[in-house]
Amino acid sequence: MNIFSKSYCQYPIIQGGMAVRVSTAPLAGAAAAAGGVGIIGATGMKVEELRQEIRKARKLAGSGKIGINVMYAARNFADLAKAALQEKVDLIIFGAGFSREIFSWGREAGTPIVAVVSSPRVAVLAEKLGAAAVIAEGSEAGGHLGTDLSVAEILPAIKKAVKIPVIAAGGLTDHHDIKRIMELGADGVQLGTRFVLSEECAVDDSFKKHYLGASREDVVLIKSPVGLPGRAIRNKFSEALALSRESIKNCSQCLKSCSHDFCILKALENSRKGLIDQGLVFSGQNVFKIKEILPVKKIFENLARAFQVRS
Amino acid sequence: MSVDAKVKGIISDQLEVAVEKLSMETTFEDIDADSLDIVELVMALEEEFDLEISDQEIENIKTVGDVIKYIESQV
Ligand SMILES: Cc1cc2nc3c(=O)[nH]c(=O)nc-3n(C[C@H](O)[C@H](O)[C@H](O)COP(=O)(O)O)c2cc1C
Repeated sequence: MNIFSKSYCQYPIIQGGMAVRVSTAPLAGAAAAAGGVGIIGATGMKVEELRQEIRKARKLAGSGKIGINVMYAARNFADLAKAALQEKVDLIIFGAGFSREIFSWGREAGTPIVAVVSSPRVAVLAEKLGAAAVIAEGSEAGGHLGTDLSVAEILPAIKKAVKIPVIAAGGLTDHHDIKRIMELGADGVQLGTRFVLSEECAVDDSFKKHYLGASREDVVLIKSPVGLPGRAIRNKFSEALALSRESIKNCSQCLKSCSHDFCILKALENSRKGLIDQGLVFSGQNVFKIKEILPVKKIFENLARAFQVRS
Repeated sequence: MSVDAKVKGIISDQLEVAVEKLSMETTFEDIDADSLDIVELVMALEEEFDLEISDQEIENIKTVGDVIKYIESQV
């Protein structure tokens, strides 16, 4: 069964989960209400907070679909995933490492599990374990990256390797981009950066201003303590990272394994609260193409033009 | 065949390294195996020894010896 068929949601468009607290209830609820799939970024949250966000998003979503995204690298991965299953989310997306157990938890709860992948090999493994779909995320994406290849490069091979739906992610900003990637075989799309520049996204205004002010050259790769590269917008913080290690105070051991080069949790919390110079601003490579902050509904009206013939 | 020899045989097949190169102290990093290689290896071991290995236990696997000791404790 294709979980992204028309009977599941109006548009096969996922508003990607974004940590820490970048995609929360208002954004996810609006994306679901607009006919897509709204995803709460659970990584960095405590279990009780996640439960509240899921309930709030549900109220906004109407009959729309709500899910969560959680990084396997997070120490409380299992607790967050299990809480989300108890709250009866419509799907769970996970990435940044590979869990096998989440597939059995999902099976028991009857909840589809979707894996973020960057190669046919991981996609095949996910399918074998029972994934409902995979998200093929290319190097254009914001946040932690699993490949240095573009989405157009990885998509055809992943599509060929599995029978389950393949959702394309990375660098998609408008209906032209979506149309192009659907023609390469994608069964749906996931966007992150475009949805940060929405009225509903709960980050501080200065975070969105930093996005709007970014040029093509401002988007850089940093080395995240998670052990993966991360895509972010250059700022004082990212420049300082290249020069020195931070001394970490009050480590909450949020990751199963951490390089301790700097505290990624604090860096992401700072930027989302508006302390841009003291934080990390994760963003996709094509942020410079997006010129305005719009209501989620408007964003969907534009993106949906890629699917006019969907029946 | 001993557990030791069986496990080394499976590691050798799965990860395409010569058995002679595998000692108890060999780390998976030494033989260029990433986390996904280890997941795939674990699936082959589960099939061979008819047991289940959890995510948590997989994370604790660092050396060939870790795998052998774990399997020996289970069978
Ligand atoms: C600020 C930000 C935070 C993100 N956090 C996560 C996350 O916690 N987990 C995850 O799987 N992906 C995360 N992503 C990736 C998005 O879910 C999505 O796949 C990606 O943004 C798609 O690329 P785009 O931004 O070019 O549209 C994040 C992206 C951004 C921009």
